[in-house]
Amino acid sequence: MNGAIELDGLEVQFGARTILRDLRASLTGKSIGLLGPNGAGKTTLLHTLLGFHPPKSGTARIFGHDIRTQSRELRALCGYMPENDAYIAGISAVRLVRLMAEISGLPSRPALERAHEVLYYVGLGEARYRKIESYSLGMKQMAKLAQAIVHGPKLLVLDEPTNGLDPPHRRRMIRLIQEIRDRGEVTLLLSSHLLRDVEECCDEVLILKAGRIVQHCDLEAERRANRRFIEVETHTEVEEFATAIGRLGCEYAIVGARRIKLVLPEGIDMRDLYRIAAEKEIQIRRLDYRRDSLQDIFLQAME
Amino acid sequence: MNAAGTIVFNDVSKFYGEILGVNRVSLSIPPGITSLVGPNGSGKTTLMNLITGLLWPNDGSISVLGVSPRDAESLFRLVGYATQIDAFPRGARGRDFVVSYLRVHGYANDEAQRRADAALARLGLTEAGSRRIAGYSKGMRQRVKLAQAMAHDPRVLVLDEPLNGLDPLVRAEIIALLREWVDQGRHVIVSSHILHEVDLISDQVVLLNEGYVVAEGDIRGVRSEMRRHPLQVLIRCRQPGMLAARIFELDTVVEVKLHVDGGGLLVATRDPDRFYLSLNRIAVDHDLGLETVCPADDDVDAVYRYLIGGEEGS
Amino acid sequence: MAVYEKSYRGYDGARTDPRWRFMTLPRYAFERVFASRLFGGFFALCFVCPVVVALWIYLPHNLKFLQTFGIEPAQVAEFFRFDGLFFLSWYMKPQLFMSFLVAMIIGPSLIADDLRNNALPLYFSRPFSRAEYVLGKSAVLITLLSLVTWIPGSILFLLQASLGGWSWLSGNWRVGVGILVGSWIWIVLLCLLSLALSAHLRWKPLAHAAMFGVFFVAAMVAGVLNFILRTDWGSLIDIGEMTTVVWASLFGVSRETTVPAAAAWLALFCVAAACLALLSRRLKAYEVVRS
Repeated sequence: MNGAIELDGLEVQFGARTILRDLRASLTGKSIGLLGPNGAGKTTLLHTLLGFHPPKSGTARIFGHDIRTQSRELRALCGYMPENDAYIAGISAVRLVRLMAEISGLPSRPALERAHEVLYYVGLGEARYRKIESYSLGMKQMAKLAQAIVHGPKLLVLDEPTNGLDPPHRRRMIRLIQEIRDRGEVTLLLSSHLLRDVEECCDEVLILKAGRIVQHCDLEAERRANRRFIEVETHTEVEEFATAIGRLGCEYAIVGARRIKLVLPEGIDMRDLYRIAAEKEIQIRRLDYRRDSLQDIFLQAME
Repeated sequence: MNAAGTIVFNDVSKFYGEILGVNRVSLSIPPGITSLVGPNGSGKTTLMNLITGLLWPNDGSISVLGVSPRDAESLFRLVGYATQIDAFPRGARGRDFVVSYLRVHGYANDEAQRRADAALARLGLTEAGSRRIAGYSKGMRQRVKLAQAMAHDPRVLVLDEPLNGLDPLVRAEIIALLREWVDQGRHVIVSSHILHEVDLISDQVVLLNEGYVVAEGDIRGVRSEMRRHPLQVLIRCRQPGMLAARIFELDTVVEVKLHVDGGGLLVATRDPDRFYLSLNRIAVDHDLGLETVCPADDDVDAVYRYLIGGEEGS
Repeated sequence: MAVYEKSYRGYDGARTDPRWRFMTLPRYAFERVFASRLFGGFFALCFVCPVVVALWIYLPHNLKFLQTFGIEPAQVAEFFRFDGLFFLSWYMKPQLFMSFLVAMIIGPSLIADDLRNNALPLYFSRPFSRAEYVLGKSAVLITLLSLVTWIPGSILFLLQASLGGWSWLSGNWRVGVGILVGSWIWIVLLCLLSLALSAHLRWKPLAHAAMFGVFFVAAMVAGVLNFILRTDWGSLIDIGEMTTVVWASLFGVSRETTVPAAAAWLALFCVAAACLALLSRRLKAYEVVRS
C-alpha cells in the first residue's frame, strides 16, 4: 500500500558532499517523526521534499506526486514551519498570515478570515495586530505555525516546533499538534531533537544517521509489544521488593534509587506484585509499562 | 551545611533601572545538580549572572563556596559559565577559543593546551577543534561553550540551557558527564525548559516566576509540602467503578474522578503513604485488572503548573 | 443551542488563478509605500518637471498669451524648438534623477525585510517561484517608476505631436521611441540594481547608501579617472552617464558622447547581468553554510 510519503532511492548532494544516500522507505503513518543526530540530514530531507533542493538521483513521492516533476503541485499541499525564526520584518502577524494565505491561492476575503481563524486557534489574541518583532519566542513560534496551516495543507512539515519554548508554551504547541493530528485531515512530518516530542505526537518514526535510514518503526506497534515490560517505583526498600519478585521468576534490574525495570513472565500478573507489596508493607508509587521505548530504539539505532 | 560548601543568596535583589531582575531572593544551594526552572524573564539568567559575578546585586549578599563575587579573581577560578547566547570572537577556531580562556585564567601555554585538549575530548570535539566556530552546527557550538566552561576545572559550573539544540545521543552523554562531575562533590547549576529532563537529572530544583523564588528543594519534598494540592494518582484498570467504590471507603482520599474513556480513574489523596498501603490491600483482595499506577502530578511539570501556571496567549 | 469548540479546520474553498498570484506582493507593498506621507509628498514633486515642460510645450501654440507680454513668436522660436535634445535635456535627465531617488527610497525595503528574518522559506514552500517573487517585488517599483518616466513622457510627446502636427511628428518620431525604450531601460536597470543591492545588504540604511554609492560615488570616481588618465573611458562605470549616452543614441541626438554608444549599451548590459546573477545567488529558500 502506498504511504503518504515514499522515498525511492533518494540521494542529495551539496557540491561534492553527499548528504542523503539511497533513502528507501514507505511512510504510511498519520504522524511521522524524524529523528537523528546533528548532521544526519533531517533538515536536508525536509528541504528536499519541499522542493528547495533537487535530488542528485532517485526520487520521492508525496501523496503520489513526484517531487522532481510535480514540485509545484506538492507545494500547494504542504505547510512548512521552519526551525529558525522566519517572518517578515515590520508587519503584524495578521498581515503575514494573510499574505501567505493569498500566495497559497486563497482569495482576499477568505484569506483574511482564515488568518484570523488560525491565529485564534493558536492562541494569539490582541498581539496579532502588533509587529512580529515585538513578540516573545513562544508567540513567534505560534505565528509560524499559523502561517503553516492557514491554507489547509495536507502535509504539515514541522522542524523543531518546540525549540526554545518554555514549558507552558511547549505544552500548548504539543497540544495543538496533537489536535491537528487527531482531526485526521493532515499528515504530519515532525523533526525534533526531543524524543519526548516525537513520542507524544508521532505514530511512526524514521531515524537517520549520516544520511542513511538506520531505523524505521511503527511506535504504536512497539508500545503494544512492550506489555510485559514493567517499571515499578517504590517508596522505600526497593531491594527487598526486587528480591521478592525475583523469587517469583521475574527478570529485573534496579535503576536509580527506587526504580525497578522488570519483565513479567507468563503466568505472573500485576496482582502478584501487589501481593508481595501488601505482605511487605511496601508502597508501590508507580507501576507502568516501559515508557522509554523510543529512547531504547534510538540508542540502539545509533550503535 | 557549612558556608564553604554551598552557594548562598542572602536577600538578594537586582534591578535593571526600573525593571525587575530578582526581588529579595534567599537561597542555599548545596552540591549536586540544581535546575533553575521558570518562564522566560523570570530571573534565571539574572541569578546566573549574579553567581558568576557578571552582575552585582542592588541589595543583599552572595557567597559562592565562601567567596564573594566581588573577589573576581578567586571567583573566576571557582566558577565556569556557559551562556545561552552564542558570543564567539570572529573567525575563532574551537580549540583557540578554549585555550584563550585558559590563558586568561593564568595557565601557562602548554598547560592551557593540555587542558583544552582534555576538555574538547570530553565533549567529543577533538576533530572539530581545529575548525572555525562559525561553521559549527548548533550542537557543536553548545559543546564548545561547555568545553570552555569546564576547562579550568571549576567547582561550580553554571550552564544556561546547555542542552538546547542537542540531539538525544549527545544529551544523554552530557547528562552523564554532569553526573560524573557532581559525584566529585561539585555544584552544577543548569537552567532548562525541558521539565521531564529536569526531573530525571536534578537533585534539587529552584522554581522562579517574575523575579521571585516560588519553590526550592528536591522535587518530591517540594511537592509534599504543597498541601493545598493533594497528590493526584492516575490508576488504569479494567474495573474502574469497583476500584472507585473501594477507594471511597478509604479516609485518605478526597476526590476520585473517573476517566472519560472508562479505563481508569484519578484519585486525589492527602496522605499518600497510607493510601498506597491501602491500595496494596485492595489490589490483592479484588480482581481489578490493574494496569498502571502513576502519580499524575508528582513531577516538576505539575509543580510548575500549580505554582507558576498558565499559558499566555497574548 | 450549541457549543462551538475551536479546532483546526482545513480549507476546501476556491483558489485564485495561479498566474496572477504574484500580484499579491505589489498589492501589499503599495499599501505600505503610500502609508508614508513623506513619500507621498516627494512623489508629487516628481511631477513638477513634466508639468513645467507641458506648459512650456503649450506656450508657443498659444500666441495670444505671448502677445499679452508683447513678445513676438519669431523672437522666441529658438526657445521652443522641441526636438530630441530638448526632450533629452529637459525631461529625461531631470526625471532620471527623480526616478533614481524613488528607486533609492523604495527599492531597499522591497527585499531587505524578507531576508532579514528568513522569510524566504515561507514564500518558497508555497507554489511560488523565484521568478514570480522577483516579478512581484519589481512590480511596485516598475509601476512607480513608470509613473515618473515614460507615462508622463509619452503624454508630453503626444501633446507636442498634436500641437506640432504631422510635420513635427515625421521629423521627431524618434523622440517617442527614445522616451519609451529609454525609460524602460532605465526602469529595468534601477529595479535590478536596487533588488540586487538589497538582497545582499540586508540592512536597509546600508542598501540606501549602496544605491547612492553605486551612482554618485561611481560618477565621481569616473570623473577622477577621466581626469587622471586623460581619457573618457572612465565613464564606463558611471551608470547615469552611460544611460544618457544610450538615450542619446535612441533619440538620434549627436552630442559630445564620452564613449561610443555601443560601449555604453554593453556597459549597461553587463551591469544588468551582474545584478541578475547576484539576485539569483541570494534568493534561495535555504542557504547552505560552507564550513
